[in-house]
Amino acid sequence: MSGDFTEIGRALPRKEDRRLVSGRGRYLDDLAFPGALHVSFVRSPHAHARILGIDSAEAAEMPGVVGIFTGRDLDQMTTRLRLAPPIEGLQPTELTTLPIDKVRFHGDPVVCVVATDRYLAEDAAECVSVEYEQLTAVTSITEAFAPDAALVDDSLTSNMVSHQSLCVGDPAARRAEAHRVVEARFSLHRHTHVPLETRGCVADWDDGRAHLNMHIGNQVPHPLRSQLAARLGLSESQVTVMSPDVGGAFGQKIALYREELTVAALSRHLRRPVRWREDRMENLMSAAHAREYECRTRASVSETGRILGLELEIDEDFGGYCFYPANYMARVIALIMTGPYRIQDYAYEVRVALTNKCGAGPMRAPMAITSWVMEGTIDAIARDLGLDPVEVRRINALGPEDLPYKMPTGELLEDVSPRETLEIAVDAIDVADFRARQAQARAEGRYLGLGLCTVIESTTYGSEFYKSAGIPGSGHESAWVRIEPSGAVNASVGLMGTGQGYESPLSQAVAEGLGVRSEDVTVHMGNTDIAPYGMGSRGGRGATAGGGTLYLCALKARERVLAIAASMLDLNDAGGLRLRAGQIERMIGEDWQEAGLSLTDIARRAYHEPLALPEGIAPGLDFSHSYDPPAMTYSNSTHACEVEVDPQTGAISIDRYLVAEDSGTVLNPIVVRGQQQGAIAMGLSGALLEQVIYDGTGQNLSATLADYLVASPNELPEFEILHHNTPNRRTPAGIKGMAEGGVMGAIGVLANAVSDALAPRGVTIERLPLTPQSIRALLREAAPSSTKRTQP
Amino acid sequence: MSAPTHDPLTLSLSVNGETHDVRVPARKLLSDVLRDDLGLTGTHVGCEHGVCGACTVLIDGRPARACLTFAAQMEGHEVTTVEAMGRPDALSALQQALHEEHGLQCGFCTPGIVVTFEHYLRENPDPTAEEVRNVLSGNLCRCTGYQNIVAAVLKAAARMRGEAA
Repeated sequence: MSGDFTEIGRALPRKEDRRLVSGRGRYLDDLAFPGALHVSFVRSPHAHARILGIDSAEAAEMPGVVGIFTGRDLDQMTTRLRLAPPIEGLQPTELTTLPIDKVRFHGDPVVCVVATDRYLAEDAAECVSVEYEQLTAVTSITEAFAPDAALVDDSLTSNMVSHQSLCVGDPAARRAEAHRVVEARFSLHRHTHVPLETRGCVADWDDGRAHLNMHIGNQVPHPLRSQLAARLGLSESQVTVMSPDVGGAFGQKIALYREELTVAALSRHLRRPVRWREDRMENLMSAAHAREYECRTRASVSETGRILGLELEIDEDFGGYCFYPANYMARVIALIMTGPYRIQDYAYEVRVALTNKCGAGPMRAPMAITSWVMEGTIDAIARDLGLDPVEVRRINALGPEDLPYKMPTGELLEDVSPRETLEIAVDAIDVADFRARQAQARAEGRYLGLGLCTVIESTTYGSEFYKSAGIPGSGHESAWVRIEPSGAVNASVGLMGTGQGYESPLSQAVAEGLGVRSEDVTVHMGNTDIAPYGMGSRGGRGATAGGGTLYLCALKARERVLAIAASMLDLNDAGGLRLRAGQIERMIGEDWQEAGLSLTDIARRAYHEPLALPEGIAPGLDFSHSYDPPAMTYSNSTHACEVEVDPQTGAISIDRYLVAEDSGTVLNPIVVRGQQQGAIAMGLSGALLEQVIYDGTGQNLSATLADYLVASPNELPEFEILHHNTPNRRTPAGIKGMAEGGVMGAIGVLANAVSDALAPRGVTIERLPLTPQSIRALLREAAPSSTKRTQP
Repeated sequence: MSAPTHDPLTLSLSVNGETHDVRVPARKLLSDVLRDDLGLTGTHVGCEHGVCGACTVLIDGRPARACLTFAAQMEGHEVTTVEAMGRPDALSALQQALHEEHGLQCGFCTPGIVVTFEHYLRENPDPTAEEVRNVLSGNLCRCTGYQNIVAAVLKAAARMRGEAA
């Protein structure tokens, strides 16, 4: 990493901690709104049913009830969500704010009850009776694609809402000439995000100004404002979105959900502040789900394990509603599948199904399954050919001589280091030593396993990516930096953090560009009237798009500051000047020496002595900047982990976990390390325990935290993190983005480690999660082992 | 069947050493009364079924779930919330260690963790990492992977014992 930075790369503890750690954070539900009304939703008990009638007469008479509203009412107050980007193979969809004719999943909001108190709203919601005619529920991809399947969305021609394919090179010819064709299957289960703070909002319609103040924990305040305004028939001048502290989001707080739009519409309708706080059951049933995929690969390989061609099929269960274009998440998986490996002959087919389950959305690492599929395929090749999985990785991995490398899908890899991180991880874990211990353990009837997983992590997502994907919108980001008359530095950007800890690293980006201390910069986010229109937080874009834009904007500010300083020092130009820690320094001989001017002096001149400014320089110190990053930036890593599986109980213990990671220039190593740890934890938790469970009729059986299990500290190991950071040459300061790759690596490495552990029992992991029950089931189904055969 | 009555009761609650007289329905949860009626919003509500631990407070000095307790049960008891354990400009040793070790991200679960370990470290001033993990298993954190929280608790414990850490 460049050693020239003074602020970027400092290990600064987070600015937000003091308020959060002392209970003085201000989350959505901490905000007081005198006289606010409270909302409770009546939700569908069925997965798929026609709404025949709604009787709210009894509820309407109950204490505190102000109003009861149905889909038909909301349809008068809002416009429908139509998603129809011109993408081949994607069926356009449209949905009303609340369902009118039929419900499409267990938990679908049907009626909205408004009362003076949350308890009273819930009481009344229980007394609303809805008459349904149950329909056949479509609860799996197979059922969805069956020729006689019931239609989840009656306006579509089939439940296959999206279907894309691509063929590059000649995979069929590679198959014909291959030494072997190795097939593998991967089934990733339905997850959900589980932010500790559930969704919620307070809509406060200002009737005098005809203005909506929407308080909502959200990752993308400006796009949310645009959608709110459009769906309410308001101008963007009439809506302010304000995001307070947010208790986690992980992709769940991007879409404008139907409940939130309902609350906003009712605030305007009732001319009162209206608030909603989702309970945990609602969050688990009906916020957003993610990740349900079935994948198959077919690798054509040489005798040495070199991959000649790869074919991939992905089927995704998208649930009942499209809040995003249905090709969106699966497409990225298919685009980056070949990742760290030299593969040019590649074909994919992606099919997305609508089913009677909660709608799917992006979740931290929407492409999470990618690395498991690719690395599981590598392990399948090694098993099939009797080769060392490390050698199969080496022979296929991209090395420095291959870069820049254009993947068969056109994605460009540059300044990445997959072979280097592989070697670092392999060295650190000491594979030879592990194999010896594994053999010893196997002789004792114990099952140790080693997994490896190399990750190519797509981050940032510039406009060029969206345009080439046919998706409307932009990947640029906007920032302003303002030096106030006192010399105080304020800045803003369109991102909104939801717990990552943006305040310190983004201050560091500003401080580096401008030449002040990070401690003296304040970055204001989460208010659409204050922040410039930006695309918000998602897709690992905080550092490159957000930090990068702030850095460039601060450079612009510095240029002006130095020009004013030069004139104050009677110099012809600013060539020999710099700003360091808020002081002007001048190059004298070979040394930088203080020039006796501070940023405060310059700010005072800029604001209060405009006539003394050099010709052509306007008063004030107010700067803005927009920046569109490359189509995609890539980080990479190799994960390695050792596990032991107890064949009697099916329990997995993770004995060692390490990751060698290349995430480019790091703004703040403390925050980055936290993101790495958190991402790995989320991946392991998902692979070990978490699972949204629907029964065959579409009933959600995992709507409490006693049923939807999230890892506690007892299931998670310590993570060893090794750094190998290569700056990206095409981004400001060499930033790349990170924070999702840990999820990708954790899922893949755990599955591979357990497959390795259970190899003597003939078990290969093709399906997650790896709960004790699922491991025991696999062992029961597998061919009996020799040791087992000798037992009675 | 007659409808349940939700007429308010008058309660006298002792919270953080102060006595508050409130009129609330008998069914109102302690977590909601602390937050809505007393303005002590540091006690967070994450699940309302006792699993996540974000609402943990001390009742007569022992950790308890405020979301599984009715405020009406608290008459004659002393409730302590995170607000009594340190301020932004005067953090407790545990809060300071959480800050230094990056033991929080979104911070929503953090008050529950602070309350749990302010109590635990007084009773068990020299815990092992494994013991800390066992106690911490009552508090869900979705952001950190727990490693830094464990490190922070051990660091705070050492400091509270008067050792350099």
